[in-house]
Amino acid sequence: MTRSRRGVLLRLARRNVVRQWRRSLLTGMAMMLGVVALVMARTIGDGAHEDWIDSGVRMGTGHVTLQHPQFRFSRKLDHRLPAAARARIAAALEAPEVASLVAQVTPRLEMMGLANSPTAAVPVNIIGVESEGEARFSQLGVEQRRVGGRYLEPGDRLHAYVGERLAQRLDLGLGSRLVLTAQDASGEIAGQLVRVVGIYRTGVPEVDEAVVHIPLATAQEWLGVEDDVTTVAVLLTSAWGVPRALRRLRARIGEEGDGIAVLGWRQAMPELDAAIKLDDFWGYVFNVVLFVIVALAIVNTILMSVLYRTREFGVLRALGLTKRETATVVFTEGMILTAVAGMVGVVLGFAVTWLLWHDGLDYSGALEGELTFSGVVLDTVVVPVFRRVQVVMSLGSIVIVGLLASLYPAYRATRIDVAEAMKFEA
Amino acid sequence: MSEQPAVRTSDVWKVFEHDGIAVEAVRGVTLEILPGEFVVMAGPSGSGKTTLLNLLGGLTQPTRGKVWIDGADLTTLSERALARLRLERVGFVFQAYNLLPVLTARENAEFSLLLQGMAEDERHRMVGELFERIGIAGLEDRRPAKLSGGQQQRVAVARAVVGAPALVLADEPTANLDSATSLALLDVMANLNRELGTTFVFATHDPQLMERAQRLIRLVDGAVALDERRSAPASP
Ligand SMILES: Nc1ncnc2c1ncn2[C@@H]1O[C@H](COP(=O)(O)OP(=O)(O)OP(=O)(O)O)[C@@H](O)[C@H]1O
Ligand SMILES: [Mg+2]
Repeated sequence: MTRSRRGVLLRLARRNVVRQWRRSLLTGMAMMLGVVALVMARTIGDGAHEDWIDSGVRMGTGHVTLQHPQFRFSRKLDHRLPAAARARIAAALEAPEVASLVAQVTPRLEMMGLANSPTAAVPVNIIGVESEGEARFSQLGVEQRRVGGRYLEPGDRLHAYVGERLAQRLDLGLGSRLVLTAQDASGEIAGQLVRVVGIYRTGVPEVDEAVVHIPLATAQEWLGVEDDVTTVAVLLTSAWGVPRALRRLRARIGEEGDGIAVLGWRQAMPELDAAIKLDDFWGYVFNVVLFVIVALAIVNTILMSVLYRTREFGVLRALGLTKRETATVVFTEGMILTAVAGMVGVVLGFAVTWLLWHDGLDYSGALEGELTFSGVVLDTVVVPVFRRVQVVMSLGSIVIVGLLASLYPAYRATRIDVAEAMKFEA
Repeated sequence: MSEQPAVRTSDVWKVFEHDGIAVEAVRGVTLEILPGEFVVMAGPSGSGKTTLLNLLGGLTQPTRGKVWIDGADLTTLSERALARLRLERVGFVFQAYNLLPVLTARENAEFSLLLQGMAEDERHRMVGELFERIGIAGLEDRRPAKLSGGQQQRVAVARAVVGAPALVLADEPTANLDSATSLALLDVMANLNRELGTTFVFATHDPQLMERAQRLIRLVDGAVALDERRSAPASP
């Protein structure tokens, strides 16, 4: 097809879209609504997931977790990070290409143990923490979560920060003493006396009953591990940086054989990963349903206009257009509609979402009590996330839908029999 | 006669299958139409005029037999080659609703030139001259909806002849016009035939048109019942 021919076809298509403005408007509106709904669902959905991930990684072990490869499975002190490994990790985290992605790093010494008071003994997850970094990381210590006392502070020695349910079960108050027991580095059961300095409540029973924070130095000395830790937890500036951070860290630290595993949150927290994937799946189902509806609307209107304009296509063919060229006219009409409606839809979708919810969409009214899941308390205010990827993806998907929806009417245009089309019917 | 015919058929048949019954719309027509002829095909309704015209223009492929335009065998051409041949060598005028509604009168008339990539000023000059010649100068920028039936048919005639085709096929071009307008349109085509030597083949019931025929072909039941030459073809 020469340029002049393409120009003529394009001109015909463009003018047909304008001439049938009622049809164009209707189709365009259907597409626009589709795109608007899509954009809303994506920005809100991404915002919610970002929140989930953020809450999840803060409660857990960060976007990226560095541990001995076996620690995840054994939870034993044998599988800890010795000084040499810690040094390698520190060096890798300080490398500029990694440091630029990192928001917060905190070392932890985690072990399973028992919390004993004169009245009872409860199995707990004892975490030795560096109070300053941890305060910014896990947010167990933030004021909203605290029901009494304070969080750990630098210089604390024999202090413990415990959950409300644990305090109840052991009948502890602020200043109460309890004994923590666990297996030390040499395999002996060792005890450590600590005093409750603060009590928190997350609303997640498994956390409030089982997680105890004590100063890292205290834990190290008690268990005889010198300066070793079990975990280095890393918080990134955004969940989107995870794949990049993993790649770069692995390049510096090496694969698991070297005694250090670099885990992403998806590996470290498989339940959260599964929940997000499930939610994403329903999101995709929603998108597909939406697009099928939009596509049917487009197919319907364009097909109607092809059938209604049989004679016009007959004239075009008599004048010397090939079947393919008449199909091109129809297809181009569909694509013009798609492009315009898609573009307007994307802009409108983002504008509406932003106007309505840029401060966040609070769905707490729709829920009773707190929203928790797999050990994570979720914020009921979702702030939509706006990304360039979403614009590209929304536009891309609407273009694909428009493309597919224009194909059939275009094909039908090639089936028109010229002699039949030119029969005169008054 | 040494001159190559504008269009020629040899024992051409068109059989339609209709509800399981074979309808022989055209039955073994052999004819030659020379450049510059002004041919009128007449005959009762259903005698096969439209079908034969469609065969001559390559809009329909024959069930049997052959059709040549300017010596090219239509039955052997690909869909693309046939489209190209229609674009360059054949003009069509239909009974009504000939024009593309989204194009202006000028754009409609210059459509084939546009497709062939002719430069704008050349196109405008040719269409301008033609519009002048057929009495619709000044209507160039109107859309078909803003033209009378007679004006629309003139634009359609202009579009059919503008590329100097081997032949122009017109199926009842005057059937939707009143008799004064029909006469005027006939004059336009007769003049084009005389002055430019354009070959015209009509299918019609219109006695006014039959009167003007320089050659009259009468079809009965899909076959040529009468073929009479009344005068010599026009020469350009
Ligand atoms: N697509 C088709 N399918 C079946 N039969 C057809 C088809 N087209 C035409 N015919 C039949 O072929 C015969 C010739 O039709 P055609 O339209 O060529 O006649 P015509 O001379 O142009 O008639 P009119 O003067 O009414 O326009 C008729 O019997 C018609 O019913
Ligand atoms: Mg007819």
